[in-house]
Amino acid sequence: MSIARDLDIILAHGPELSAGGLDYYKLGLWAAGLPKSRILALNPGLPAEELAQRLQAFLYRGSEHRVLLAALDPRLRARQIIRLLLEEIRINPEFLGVLDLQEALGYPDPQACSLKAHNLIRLAASMLTRAEPIVTRELPVNSRVLVWGDSFAALKAAVDLVNQGYPVLQAFPGPAFKPLIPGAPLTQPPGEELLQLTSQAQSHPAVQLAPQARIIEVQGSAGNFQVKLETDQEVRVETVGAMILAPEMHLQPGEAAASLSPHPRVLTQTRLEEILAAPEEAKDLLGPGAPSLQVAFLGADSHPLALRRALDAAKKFLARDDCRVLLLTRDAKVGVPELEGELEEAASSGLIVVKLPGLPALSLEGDRPRFTFFDPVMHQEESLACDLVILDEVYAPAAGNAAQAELLGLFPGPRGFFQVDNVRHLPVITNRRGICVAGPARGVMGLDQALAEADAAVSAVHQLLGRGRAEAPQGRAVIDRGRCVLCLTCHRLCPHGAVSWDNRAIINELACQGCGVCASQCPNEAIQIRNFTDDQVVAAMETLDPRLTPKIVAFLCQNSAWEAYHGALKMQQIVLPLGFTPLRMPCAGKIDIDYLLKAFTYGADGVLVLGCHSDNCKSQMGNEHALWRVERARTMLEEAGVDPRRLVFRTLAANAPRDFLAAVHHLAGLLQEVKAA
Amino acid sequence: MNNQTRYPVVVLGGGIAGIAAALELTRLGHEVALVEKTPFFGGRAAHLCCKATDVCQKCGACLVQERLKALFQEPRISLYPQTELLESSRQNGLFHLRLQQQPLVINPERCVDCGLCQEECPAATQGAIITTSVTQNHPRYAVDPAACLYFQDGSCRVCQQICPPTARAIDLEQPEKTMDLAAEAVIVATGYRPGDPACRSHYGYGRHPQILSGVELEERLKNGTGLVGPDREPPRRVAFIQCVGSRDLQHPYCSQVCCGYTLRLARLLKHRQPEAEITTFYMDLQNTGRDAPRLQAEAHREIKVVRALPGDLRAAADGSLRLRYLHEENAAAVEAAFDLVVLSVGIGPGADNAALAALLQVELTPDGFFQTSGRQQYTETSQPGLFLAGTASGPRDIAGCITQALAAARQASQYVQKS
Ligand SMILES: Cc1cc2nc3c(=O)[nH]c(=O)nc-3n(C[C@H](O)[C@H](O)[C@H](O)COP(=O)(O)OP(=O)(O)OC[C@H]3O[C@@H](n4cnc5c(N)ncnc54)[C@H](O)[C@@H]3O)c2cc1C
Ligand code: SF4
Ligand code: SF4
Ligand code: SF4
Repeated sequence: MSIARDLDIILAHGPELSAGGLDYYKLGLWAAGLPKSRILALNPGLPAEELAQRLQAFLYRGSEHRVLLAALDPRLRARQIIRLLLEEIRINPEFLGVLDLQEALGYPDPQACSLKAHNLIRLAASMLTRAEPIVTRELPVNSRVLVWGDSFAALKAAVDLVNQGYPVLQAFPGPAFKPLIPGAPLTQPPGEELLQLTSQAQSHPAVQLAPQARIIEVQGSAGNFQVKLETDQEVRVETVGAMILAPEMHLQPGEAAASLSPHPRVLTQTRLEEILAAPEEAKDLLGPGAPSLQVAFLGADSHPLALRRALDAAKKFLARDDCRVLLLTRDAKVGVPELEGELEEAASSGLIVVKLPGLPALSLEGDRPRFTFFDPVMHQEESLACDLVILDEVYAPAAGNAAQAELLGLFPGPRGFFQVDNVRHLPVITNRRGICVAGPARGVMGLDQALAEADAAVSAVHQLLGRGRAEAPQGRAVIDRGRCVLCLTCHRLCPHGAVSWDNRAIINELACQGCGVCASQCPNEAIQIRNFTDDQVVAAMETLDPRLTPKIVAFLCQNSAWEAYHGALKMQQIVLPLGFTPLRMPCAGKIDIDYLLKAFTYGADGVLVLGCHSDNCKSQMGNEHALWRVERARTMLEEAGVDPRRLVFRTLAANAPRDFLAAVHHLAGLLQEVKAA
Repeated sequence: MNNQTRYPVVVLGGGIAGIAAALELTRLGHEVALVEKTPFFGGRAAHLCCKATDVCQKCGACLVQERLKALFQEPRISLYPQTELLESSRQNGLFHLRLQQQPLVINPERCVDCGLCQEECPAATQGAIITTSVTQNHPRYAVDPAACLYFQDGSCRVCQQICPPTARAIDLEQPEKTMDLAAEAVIVATGYRPGDPACRSHYGYGRHPQILSGVELEERLKNGTGLVGPDREPPRRVAFIQCVGSRDLQHPYCSQVCCGYTLRLARLLKHRQPEAEITTFYMDLQNTGRDAPRLQAEAHREIKVVRALPGDLRAAADGSLRLRYLHEENAAAVEAAFDLVVLSVGIGPGADNAALAALLQVELTPDGFFQTSGRQQYTETSQPGLFLAGTASGPRDIAGCITQALAAARQASQYVQKS
């Protein structure tokens, strides 16, 4: 039976439903006849007090209510009711089912509309009456935070954390702080504010410094990490509740440097900055009586901040009237505030910018470097001898990030930075709760953005650690210890590093994000995700109504497809196949092969699996797991003599309701083909 | 005024930056008022399309979706749609904001989003009834008193009469409201105005239906309204022209987002229609995301990337658009024909920036964006307690807007706690 326990159904208003072809009065009568159910029809437009009274009167008996709120666009139109139920009557959020009846409207035949509405209500009831409450529990957490690195973002994070009452362990690879100001000459001393930041981090009693450190092992999870640190003196284990990673970048020779041997007239940007900052040395280049020079800056096109450094030095030569200064570059990267203006200004004071498809070849002629290249503007082969060539440098991620990411259980980021390139993690979180990244840890960026990220990371840590206590949903993913055989599949697959073990696997409730990747892969079916249990899914499939065809069971990832489905319902004149049966999944990775096969045994004509696009899964791999399982299930269907075209997997984004419709229509089309064949 | 509502923080602007800031403030434990000029929330980013081929291209547009959903479910955020700032003053550190809210004619509890009002409104083309394609908003229809005939001379009540009797959601007699809010801190997140595609007059924007701005292309792809070439087939030859409304004398800055959205849209078009030939004309390719080298390498494989900005555009007799440009390698003049030309407009200062800056007594940059200042240069202004988030303070992408919004929220929260 689809309704397993007592259920209170609230039909929020109704006249507008009739306008859409659904007789709400009849619907109410039908619902009143459901077993174990009571029904209340309620106008959501009533004043809040009256709403509250009626709800209280309806729910006066007992303390534990499972409430199914069915309405048109309930999240918005019945916002008040939802709020009252959760805040005044305080029903457990897991016991509130919110059902949008929109899908039942718009069928030409009123009979179809009501059958569809019945089916939607039964479907929701089957899940809801098997729901278990999720209680949040306060867990003690360690309020100490490890800040890794000595960039200004790291220093700001450390200082802000201690100011908010979180003791900090600041570990970094060098012997002393050596933060960079991205885009500034290396020789430029930091301003007052930055100096203050440095000295605060250095001297604050609540910041414990660990220079020359290396992280060699990490155990535990959010709220309670054990970090094994190696310093030049010792190896020690430190316990922290969270981490902020903000290791400083370093400068690497750019591409052009590789082709050149060292030469006195060929300098790196860093060397040039050193010379310019030393009055004695600079005199030979810039002082009165210095010979007129032809200076070429090469490259400076890895990042706007590299260009900024080159321009800063170029300006010094341009200030002399008798220097010819060139910038040979592939692209003028001006995408940071004010740099376009600075480049224009340099050009108007004489900088010659030559844009080339590739960096030019360099040879030595006597003791002078010479370039040859085709000048696209002058439209001729150019040969250019220079007195001085400046090789650019590239801002590169801290060495060892990749190894550390692996140690920390983080998916690797692009080109050696931390944080996988997945927009779900923006701006500063990672796949592991309690580990944040900021500034130079996650990419090349100016100080303004790096410091903003430090702010965001501190907020995230603060929200996790609270004042030594964190709220964790209890029992969201549950391991049946009787069934667990300690194969540790879950430990290996958990994208969020939430599984550890004693003599059985254990799920850390703070770190678990409830994706269900573990549950669907556990060979012994020892893991259940609360409110997405196998029983619930089966009960939902039992509601399939043979009168509604074609029967399409759709497993929808709640992070993308479920949203797109709801978006589609709100588009004008959308009618889904009558037998469309949407099942919300916490992540496509929760979809078990068993579900796919069972759907067919319960009479589905077709099964649709919709997850996030590749690289867009909140749990990173959930969509890939889903794809593999769909492929396996297809083979099995074929072996069983079922046309595998009846099972379709697609990816889409939350903001793409049209892609959702296209997928449904695609499957509906295939089903017709299959039927015809 | 005496019946003043007080909030720790008021956020101006309900785009992605304002929403992200408001949500973060609630997480930091504050009540927030979110003031939005239009009837709808989500700002411009809510109208951007998903650019995934089979793989996500990391454009960030889908991030708006979940935040909009959270916004509408967050009881600690009071929403003020159709509301603008009229006056602002400061006493004892408190901001006193006088807001004007247009009459909220359509009752959200009753409206069924059927759209009859818009269909029947005689002044619909003048914009009397505005609607949004951002379906998370409800209602998705609103009456704009500036264009509505009832508010001009009382001559029309068609929408109220046509609204289905089962809904009866329209009440034209709703009053305009003036409200006084007190706030300890204010975050300005009023966003940007896209570059004017007509600012490069030689491209003839507005003269040919086959010339679109980037904004229009995004919306068409999002809304599935489709693209057609001169022969009513999907356009096979598509050109994107970069830096329209950026990097010129009037706009001496790089908009930072257009290279990125162009390459992504170009790859999306190519993915959907593999036989299409797509060309991007550019000055300099900017870094286009966290893994720019990879994106650009893929783009170079799939589309033609030409370093040249076409000198002129003319319509040929066969309905195609001819672009003339200088060949990158031999500087010869080349002409190429296209079925669709997209002008990649950038990010210009918001229309209200000057007025808002005057009201709130802060400065604008020479380019017309809000000026950051103070210690950390990314969200503070010269007015203590006033913070900036999003494109209000200059070009940035969605990710950048969110970062700055989180920082602004934290700074505002700390400011409120100190004062
Ligand atoms: C064609 C195009 C494509 C783009 N594609 C991408 C992309 O793929 N990826 C990406 O990351 N970025 C992209 N961007 C950039 C992206 O649109 C912006 O980064 C983002 O929308 C900025 O959000 P915001 O909140 O700062 O501003 P907005 O979206 O402009 O929001 C500001 C809000 O404030 C309101 N408002 C304005 N004035 C007032 C006032 N006086 N009082 C109250 N409220 C007010 C507005 O109505 C609006 O709702 C693109 C931009 C363009 C032009
Ligand atoms: S549900 Fe997901 S996050 Fe939780 S333990 Fe399983 S795999 Fe890890
Ligand atoms: S391409 Fe953009 S909208 Fe689509 S999934 Fe990726 S980030 Fe989201
Ligand atoms: S991002 Fe690209 S197109 Fe936009 S202004 Fe900058 S260089 Fe021009």
